[in-house]
Amino acid sequence: MTNKTQIYKPISPEIEELAREHHQDREAALELLKDIQTRHAGLSSAAITDAARALRLPPHQLYGMATFYSMLSLEERRKVLRVCDGPVCWLKRASKPRRRAKGTATSAVSSDQLIGEWTEAMPEYTVERTSCLGLCDRAPAILVEDEQAGPVFAKDAEKVCEGWRGVPTDYSKERKGELRVMTALIGKIDPDSLAEALEHGVYDGLKKALQTQPGAVLDLVESSGLQGRGGAGFPVGRKWKFVANEKRTPRYIVCNADESEPLIFKDRVLIDTNPHQLLEGLLIAGFACGASEAWIYIRGEYEYQAQRLENAIRQAESQNLLGENILGSGFSFKIHIHRGAGAYICGEETALIESLEGKRGEPRLRPPFPPTYGFRGQPTAVNNVESFCAVPHIVRNGADWWRNLTKAAAPGTKVYMVLGHVKNPGLFEAPFGLTLRQIIDDFGGGMLPGSQFNFALCGGAAGTIVNESLLDTPIDFASAQKGISLGAGSFLVCDQNVSPVAFLRELLHFFAAESCGKCTPCRVGTWRALEILNRMAEGKGMKDDTEELATLADLLHDSSFCGLGQAVPIPMRSALAHFGAEFVKAEVS
Amino acid sequence: MVNITIDGQCIETEAGKTILQVAKENGIQIPTLCYHKDLSPTGNCRMCVVEVKGGRFLQAACVTQVWEGMEISTVSERVMKDRKLTLEFMLANHPLDCLTCDVGGECELQDLAYDYRVEVPSWGAKGTRYPVDSDPNPFVRVDFNKCILCRRCVQACAEIQVRDVWGVAKRGFEEQIVAGAGTTMLEARCESCGQCVAYCPTGALSNKMNYGTARAHQVKKVTTTCSYCGVGCQFDLLVKNDKVIGVSSNPDAPVNGMALCVKGRYGYDYIHHHDRLLKPRVRRYLLEGVKKERTGSPWDWVETEWDTALDIVAKKFKETRDATGADTLGFLTSAKCLNEENYLMNKLARQVIGTNNIDHCARL
Amino acid sequence: MSNSMDDVAKEAKCFLIIGSNTTEQHPVFGTMLRRAVRFRGAKLVVADPRKIDITEFATLHIRQRPGTDIPLINGLMYIILEKGWEDKAFVAERTENFDEFKATVMNYPPDKVAEITGIPVEKLYEAAEIIAMNSPMAVIWAMGITQHIVGVRNVMSLANLQMLLGNMGKPGSGVNPLRGQNNVQGACDMGGLPNVYPAYQPVTSDEAREKFAKAWGLDSGPMTVDGGTVRGLSSTVGLTVTEMMPGILEGKIKSLYVLGEDPVMSDPDTKHIRHALETLDFLVLQEIFPSETSVYADVLLPGVSFAEKTGTFTNTERRVQMVNKAIKPLGDARPDWWITAEIAKRTLFLLSSFDKDDKEEERRKINMDALWAKWDYRDTSEIMSEINALTPSYGGITHARLLKGERLQWPCPTTEHPGTPILHTKQFTRGKGKFMAIDHVPPAELPDDDYPMVMSTGRVLYHWHGGQMTRRAKGLMQVYGEALVELNPMDAERLGVNGKKLLRITSRRGSIVAEAWITDRVPPGMVYANFHFPAASANELTQAALDPVAKIPEYKVTAVKVELVKE
Repeated sequence: MTNKTQIYKPISPEIEELAREHHQDREAALELLKDIQTRHAGLSSAAITDAARALRLPPHQLYGMATFYSMLSLEERRKVLRVCDGPVCWLKRASKPRRRAKGTATSAVSSDQLIGEWTEAMPEYTVERTSCLGLCDRAPAILVEDEQAGPVFAKDAEKVCEGWRGVPTDYSKERKGELRVMTALIGKIDPDSLAEALEHGVYDGLKKALQTQPGAVLDLVESSGLQGRGGAGFPVGRKWKFVANEKRTPRYIVCNADESEPLIFKDRVLIDTNPHQLLEGLLIAGFACGASEAWIYIRGEYEYQAQRLENAIRQAESQNLLGENILGSGFSFKIHIHRGAGAYICGEETALIESLEGKRGEPRLRPPFPPTYGFRGQPTAVNNVESFCAVPHIVRNGADWWRNLTKAAAPGTKVYMVLGHVKNPGLFEAPFGLTLRQIIDDFGGGMLPGSQFNFALCGGAAGTIVNESLLDTPIDFASAQKGISLGAGSFLVCDQNVSPVAFLRELLHFFAAESCGKCTPCRVGTWRALEILNRMAEGKGMKDDTEELATLADLLHDSSFCGLGQAVPIPMRSALAHFGAEFVKAEVS
Repeated sequence: MVNITIDGQCIETEAGKTILQVAKENGIQIPTLCYHKDLSPTGNCRMCVVEVKGGRFLQAACVTQVWEGMEISTVSERVMKDRKLTLEFMLANHPLDCLTCDVGGECELQDLAYDYRVEVPSWGAKGTRYPVDSDPNPFVRVDFNKCILCRRCVQACAEIQVRDVWGVAKRGFEEQIVAGAGTTMLEARCESCGQCVAYCPTGALSNKMNYGTARAHQVKKVTTTCSYCGVGCQFDLLVKNDKVIGVSSNPDAPVNGMALCVKGRYGYDYIHHHDRLLKPRVRRYLLEGVKKERTGSPWDWVETEWDTALDIVAKKFKETRDATGADTLGFLTSAKCLNEENYLMNKLARQVIGTNNIDHCARL
Repeated sequence: MSNSMDDVAKEAKCFLIIGSNTTEQHPVFGTMLRRAVRFRGAKLVVADPRKIDITEFATLHIRQRPGTDIPLINGLMYIILEKGWEDKAFVAERTENFDEFKATVMNYPPDKVAEITGIPVEKLYEAAEIIAMNSPMAVIWAMGITQHIVGVRNVMSLANLQMLLGNMGKPGSGVNPLRGQNNVQGACDMGGLPNVYPAYQPVTSDEAREKFAKAWGLDSGPMTVDGGTVRGLSSTVGLTVTEMMPGILEGKIKSLYVLGEDPVMSDPDTKHIRHALETLDFLVLQEIFPSETSVYADVLLPGVSFAEKTGTFTNTERRVQMVNKAIKPLGDARPDWWITAEIAKRTLFLLSSFDKDDKEEERRKINMDALWAKWDYRDTSEIMSEINALTPSYGGITHARLLKGERLQWPCPTTEHPGTPILHTKQFTRGKGKFMAIDHVPPAELPDDDYPMVMSTGRVLYHWHGGQMTRRAKGLMQVYGEALVELNPMDAERLGVNGKKLLRITSRRGSIVAEAWITDRVPPGMVYANFHFPAASANELTQAALDPVAKIPEYKVTAVKVELVKE
């Protein structure tokens, strides 16, 4: 177009070169932006435009991404320090109790305070808040550039500058009552050693599967009753059959390792302790579904885990456990790692696929569902890390074995997380059907001294807030009906000093920050609910605030576009149901 | 074929259609904002939600296909409550300047607010978030305070014009529409076709050239055919007080539908340009019967009445024809004029004068 | 166009765009093609020396040297024949003269074509494969094909290609020239040409002449002079516009009636045109603005814009559409049909009255009782009735039908006929399609030591032709307010152009000064200029080298030299 604003300027050779490294692949848009950011500290409009030209994409698409993913930035930054302000870190960091009384500090303020504290402590860094880092067992957590650290406080800054990263949690010791399947090799093997994994039977499931037919594997997984571990509990075998029965090829396997929901960190631990177990699960899924490629979409904050997986992939390839004609079976399979860049919504499977394709992670219309129309429009099985990790054991030991692990309605074991004011927070594996009381007392070691159970957030950030009335209800995928959800299996226990109002505010703070903005109810509803909760938590609530929260919850639930908006009301409604009086009290300043 | 009921009305219809389509075919009104028949449905705005019996959530009618036995309510209490609140969300962050807004009277948001009796809530940003008239291009007036993020502009640019100027930036409550990599529209290679304006349901994108000139009801629309290129787009001329003040898309245009180019949509103001010839002119020498000279006073223009000018032309044609023959007259007809006018030029040359010396600029 | 735009855009599996800057010159059709490529996966081959906008969407862009279209098309057909990709059944059943044609094409092997056109051999193969393997394929062109001394031969070559591939007479195929002006199709249809009456009835045909003579109240038979009275219609083919201008200087044309055109801007070799217009005895110009041409006019008649009158335009796909009056004519201006009719009436009066001084006979014998002899039209629908009666292809196209919303493309012979979106479905107008053996003829003026660069001319998105309308549109001027000459960055560097600099472009006929727009749209060695601005109109430089048949000037190849203007 002849328009003088279009000044002739060749694409910057540097960006051209970086784009070539990604084979000018449009799906690599996110990686290219990250590469440019790494070199230039920020993404200028000119650089974004050039990157778009190099990939032959509209500049708005890349700008949309650069402003969508929290790890990308238009502004130039120095080294980046990301301070987690998720609810668990918020709870941990509290210097004074979050009393029910008015005057409690809100996280909006505390976010700013946090940034202020850390900036002062580490002036050579650009400090940013971030939604939950998935380091809840190391709360309070931070990310120093790519490196996970915790527990650390601003007072530890000097040590952090020297390279100290806090203390990782050790899960090698089983808790009493645990039944370890997926976590069985924690501490028993060096996760970075394929030889040790092989010694302990990792890949035996694959070998067994390769000796049967894909259909037999599908039947086996279906009859095991394995349910998706992402939170929804959809039968894995049935999903795979949808994919396998689609005539169109290629078909794809996608592993959802975008573990971004506050309270949840099990996938990180599973990857960190036994990466080959996940690869094996993906291989079996690929074999069963007739797919030849898989992508692990891992959240950008899990750089350490992404590298561990990449290392594992290289090892597996070197032993012909991945690649062409695996172990002479005729089955070929590739696994790719795709790093996210900071967006909770990408855990929603269609948003994840959009992101994988090099776009903003916005959910797609459903139907069609990924098994029919997924990655690149092809049949795609999307499952959670834990789901894939369960598969090798089922193949190795049979469906009946899996079913007989528990007497509960839901078969098999589950990786749980217990957090908050318990003596022994952390991760453990056990059969379904535990009650909250068992989780607190038997696995969590009971409440901290001086703490009394007040409420718990069950499942995850999008879970139910329950009071003591539900302490003895067995929890599984169906228990949400009774008011207590399993979700991804995390339980945050709060004592008498935590105000449910302030706590709910933290959750809305998260949802408002992570709403993608596509639909009106979620975009404005989360923001509005946060606005109300902000003033309530500050003791400046207004008349009818509680009622408005209930109305907002109804709209979010009924009219939101995707699961994110639809789930926000779960903690809202349950909090209002159990602690309505607290909310009403907060209305009056 | 499937059988469904909408608000108790039994309807037999084809599978694969959306609830919105079926409702429309049966005279049932469902409000929409992000939906437009020319664009692929996105289900963003959530205005068209309806209640499907047995469903946990409300369904967006624009993207939900009907199935056998589906029972739909488009007016249930739950539906009406949600639509009102969704509208309230939009209005809360929208300026309250309907009184002076250029698209008042043809604003889809305004119409729905009226239909649903939604008052502007006391909270919200009230349209103070973005600079008004924020893009320096001469055609499109950008005021993102009025934007409801329906994304029709993004889609129109991508799906109709296939130019990809508009996109979506940021997320959540901060989400906004953006040109290119956060640049001006022209820098983002905008072709100024104005499709985004034509599809915008509010005053977020409006026409700069006729900003502040008329209310919708004061304008007479006259459908006509564009006078620029050979594609033959049709559109409506907007007329107020016998003056052309703008152009708007006419969805029924056979060739182009809503689409137009920059000249068609924004190249109309020459019509009232002060250079327009408003009276016949002849050179003074013709009036004074003196010898033709191309300089000085004989060559001055004199404005005359039509009779004078036309008689001079006729007389000159006759004289040339008498003196040197019909074939010494030439006629250049016009590819810009009507068929009827070209026919008359052909008839004039051939019937009246008796020459075939007629041509036009087809070759140029 | 043999097919309609909608049909081409929706049905073609492949497009070959050659010599059409579609997205800037026919923007809305351009977007239809973009949609086809993006959403339907249609293939697109663009053959153009310039990297025009639509090349962004091209499966393949090949950049032939200006003026080498025939060897390019012949070369593609060579490959098609070599690979056996031709539509043998179509060639056998629907065409003739294949052998002679093939013999000529065989003289264009790929290596030779590569040398002439500058397109690498492998790209020729790639292009041939794309256009041959994706059927139906539609060829789309505009002035880039026709404004050459070989314009007609270029068109015939493209017709050869489409017959060879069997891409005629079916949806999504065909030969599709895009007409430039809004009603250039109509002006041609209505007899605005020196050789034909409305609907292309030849002036040399006795039958046609008789028909019009009868209708218009003239004696049938060839034109005769009976004393002072001229009877009948002329059977001599008239002069084209490109012949009239030199004709003026030769004394062949004395008086000129120009309706809504601006030859000073739009005709080649402006200096020559100015000189010609200065030589005229009498020039009457009917316009809406004083133009560059009005300087030379003796009488200036104020016509009206399209907003001030009612009638019809015919678009590039033969679709006749209503133009509806939206406002009253400004000032004392009058609809152009009214003015022409008034001139006709008054001239007729003078010609048919007995002059008491010298001549005894009336000068033009017209029987005003004949059905269509009169000029007393009340409105354009009455003119349309006359067109219906005398123009077979428009026989059924009435204002009443159009106003009812009927969508009509000619031929539409009767008021019951639905119109014809696709031509040549069963057979060609002449029966069988005739392959023509077409050889390459180099452009009239090639670069040399004195004028080492090639200039091509054309329009830009924001302006229209001579610019009389668009230069008076404020917004358009804000975006594109002065002539810009496209110059390749390599040439810019060689010339020392750095940032905003003025260029002097000189040809053997003249010189202009314009600002450089540095862009890789043009290849090195080529500049591209427009004729929208009088201060720097490309037509000061162009030459009146004409196609021998179509009399169209070779605007697309002019040898020029480019210099930096020292500021």
